Amino acid sequence: MTPALAHYLDVASRFHAADASAPAWLRRVRSEGLAHLERQGLPTNRDEAWKYTRLAPLAEGMFLPPGEARAAGRSAAGAEGTFIPAGAGRSATGAEGTFIPAEAGRGAGRLATPAEGTFIPVGDARGTGALSAVVERLGLPGPRLVFVDGRLAPELSSVAGLPRGLTLKPLRDALREDGDLLESVLGQRALAGDSALTALNAALLEDGALLRLAPGTVSEVPVQLLFLTRGDSPVLASPRILVLAGESSEATLVETYAGVGAGATFTNAVTEVTLEDNASLHHYKLQAESDTAVHVSGLHVRQGRDSRFASHAFSFGGALSRNEVHSAFAGEGGDATLNGLYVGRGTQHLDNRTALDHAVPRCTSRELYKGVLDDQSRGTFHGLIRVRQDAQRTDSRQQNRNLLLSESAQADARPQLEILADDVKCAHGAAVGRLDAVALFYLRSRGIPRAEAERLLTYAFAREVVDAVPAGPVRDSVEGLLALKLPGAARREVRA
Amino acid sequence: MALLTVRNLHARVAGKDILKGIDLEVRPGEVHAIMGPNGSGKSTLASVLAGRDGYEVTQGEVLFDGKPLLGLSPEERATSGVFLAFQYPVEIPGVGNLHFLRTALNAQRRVRGLEELDAMDFLQLAKEKSKLVQLDAAFMNRSVNEGFSGGEKKRNEIFQMAVLEPRLAILDETDSGLDIDALRTVAGGVNALRSPERGMVLITHYQRLLDYIVPDKVHVMAAGRIIRSGGRELALELEEKGYSWLGLQDGKTAAPKGGEARR
Ligand SMILES: Nc1ncnc2c1ncn2[C@@H]1O[C@H](COP(=O)(O)OP(=O)(O)OP(=O)(O)O)[C@@H](O)[C@H]1O
Ligand SMILES: [Mg+2]
Repeated sequence: MTPALAHYLDVASRFHAADASAPAWLRRVRSEGLAHLERQGLPTNRDEAWKYTRLAPLAEGMFLPPGEARAAGRSAAGAEGTFIPAGAGRSATGAEGTFIPAEAGRGAGRLATPAEGTFIPVGDARGTGALSAVVERLGLPGPRLVFVDGRLAPELSSVAGLPRGLTLKPLRDALREDGDLLESVLGQRALAGDSALTALNAALLEDGALLRLAPGTVSEVPVQLLFLTRGDSPVLASPRILVLAGESSEATLVETYAGVGAGATFTNAVTEVTLEDNASLHHYKLQAESDTAVHVSGLHVRQGRDSRFASHAFSFGGALSRNEVHSAFAGEGGDATLNGLYVGRGTQHLDNRTALDHAVPRCTSRELYKGVLDDQSRGTFHGLIRVRQDAQRTDSRQQNRNLLLSESAQADARPQLEILADDVKCAHGAAVGRLDAVALFYLRSRGIPRAEAERLLTYAFAREVVDAVPAGPVRDSVEGLLALKLPGAARREVRA
Repeated sequence: MALLTVRNLHARVAGKDILKGIDLEVRPGEVHAIMGPNGSGKSTLASVLAGRDGYEVTQGEVLFDGKPLLGLSPEERATSGVFLAFQYPVEIPGVGNLHFLRTALNAQRRVRGLEELDAMDFLQLAKEKSKLVQLDAAFMNRSVNEGFSGGEKKRNEIFQMAVLEPRLAILDETDSGLDIDALRTVAGGVNALRSPERGMVLITHYQRLLDYIVPDKVHVMAAGRIIRSGGRELALELEEKGYSWLGLQDGKTAAPKGGEARR
C-alpha cells in the first residue's frame, strides 16, 4: 500500500468515526466508499483510464478533509508554505504531516508555490471581505450556493429568486432532511466501484448541493454553485452534486471552481445528473483553481427519452486537472453536446476524459474539445464513444483540436470508438497544430506586436468553444477567465 | 532625401539565392512599377522589405527614411510606415476584420504617442475609407479575408492601406485576378492615396494597371536583379515586345543574357 493510499484511508476512517450520528444509509455509503477505495487503490499510469496522467501531486500533497484541514492550517502568514507528509513510516494515528517553510519545501522538491500560482488576483483572501469580493467577481446573477474549502458558506450564498418547481438545497441539509430520496439516488450514476476517486468522494461525503426540478419546470436563470479554495490549508474538498430533472423540465447549472490563494488544495467533485424524458440541462463547469491545485471532477449523466444535455467544460487552473464527463442514453431520441476548452501554461497538466454510451437507438451526440497549451503544459483528451448493438441510427461526432504555443508543450488525443451497431453515423477527428506563421506575419505586418498577434490568433482558435455558450452572464464569465489565461504582452515580458 | 534606398541587396530563401544585388531608390511622392517574369524575385523583395521570417539577407542594406530597416521587426516596420499589400492575402478565421484593423491602427498610434481610437470613432473612419474601394460593410464584420473572393481580398488590402496611411506602400500584384471594374475601383483607391509624402512600389505583370496608375519609373526584374529601368514607356514597350525583347524567355524564369544560369 502506498503512503498516499494509507493516508487517505486513514483520514476517511477518522472522518467516518467522527460522524457516528449520521443516518445509517449515509454511513453505509461512506463505508462502502472506503472499501472501494481500499480495494482499487489510487489510480496509477498503469490504469487504462489514467494512462496520461500522473496523480503524484495528489499523493505528495497529503490533503485533509475540511474539518481536519481547518484545524491543521498551513501557517499564520497564509499560503507561503508547503505541506509535506511526515514520512513513509508514519503510524496510523500519528501526525498528519509536517509544516515546513516554503524555502525548505522547494528544496525538498515538493509542490512549491510559484509566483504566479494565484489565478484569481486578490490580496489576502482569508478574510470574509476578500471572499465577498471574489464572489462578487465570479458570482452570476441569480440563485447560488457558495462553498469555501469544501463547506457551505451560508453568508455568501443566496437562494432568492428560485422559480417555482425548482429546489436548491445544500447537500448537508438534504442528507438529514431528504434521506429517503437521497438514499435512492446517491451513487446511482457515479459508482464508487468504478473509480477510486468517486469512492474517495463517497467516503468523505458531507456537503454539496441538491438541485431538483419538478416536471415541467422551466428555469430561465442559471443556478450557480461556486466552490472556492483559499489555499491556506491543505484541504481536500469532496463536493457531491445531485441533479434530478423531472419530465420536460429545463435548467442551467453552472459549477465554478476557483482558488483564491496560492497554496495547494485538492478538489474531488462528483456530479450526478438524472434527466427524465424530454428534460433539458445546460451544464457549465468553469474551473479556475490556482495553478498549484489538484482538481478532479466526474460528471455522470443518465439521459431519458428525448432529453437534451449540453456540457461546457472550461479547464483553466490546476497543477493537475482531470475533467470527466460520462453520459448514457437510456431512452431514444436523446441529444448530448459535450464541449470543452482547456488552457494550460507553466507545468499544468490538463486531462479530459469523456465517455458517451449510446445504449439505445436514435440518439445524437456532438463533441468538441479544444486545447491551448503553452510552456511545458500538457493536455490530454480521451474520448470514448460506445455504440451498442441495439443503438441503430446513432449519429455521433467527436472532434479534438489542440494548439501548441511552445516547443515543449504537449497534447495527446485519443479518440476511442466502439461501434457494435451497423446503421450508424460516427465521425471523429483529432489534430495538434501550432499558430499559423503566415497569419502571424500578416498581423504583424500591419503593426500588431507579436505577443498581441499571438493572443489574437489564440483567441481565434479558442472562441469556437466560447461562442457555443449563449450570450449572457455565463459567457461573460468565461470570457473574463479566459482573458486572464491567454498569452499576453504582460506575461511575455515577465518571462523574457 | 530618399524614402527608400535599397543597395546591392542579396537574399536567400531555403538555402537558395534569390535576390542577387538589387538597387532601388524611391523618393517621397514617387510611384515605381516593378515588372518581371514569374519567379524573378519580386515577391521575395517585397517580403524582405516587410520583414518576413525565413529570408536571409546575405549582402547589402536597406534604408527607410535614412535609417536602417532590416534590423526591425515586421511590426516596427509597419509602425514606421511600411505597408505591404500581399499577393495572396491571408485568411484568418476567428479574427474579425474590423477588430483586427482597429488593433493594428491603435498599436501603431500607441507607438507614435497618439491617442487610441475607440470603437465608435474607428467605425466612422472605417466607413469613410471603405468607400474608397467600395468594400461592402458586410465584409468588415466577417473574419479577416475568410471566404472573400479574390477581388474582395485585394480591395480589403487597399482598404487597410487607406486606414493605416503608410508612407511607403508596396502593392504585390494587387491587380492580378481583378475584372476591369474592380481594377478601376482599386486603382482609383490607390490614386486617391497618392500624395507628395507617400511613395509606392507596384509589382505587376500587366501594363493595363499602369494605364490607371501612372508610374514615375518602371523597373524590370529578372533572376534576382533589376536589369532595366526607365520611364512608363518601358512598360509599353515590354507589353508590345514581351520579355524576349530583353533577352528573356517570355514568361519564364530565365536569366538575362550574360547572367549566370539559375540553379
Ligand atoms: N519559401 C521559399 N522556399 C523556397 N523557395 C522559395 C520560397 N519563396 C520563394 N522561393 C523561390 O524564389 C523564387 C522567387 O520567388 P518570388 O515569389 O519572389 O517570385 P515573383 O517574382 O514574385 O514571381 P510571381 O510573378 O510568380 O509572383 C522562386 O523560384 C520561388 O520558387
Ligand atoms: Mg510574386
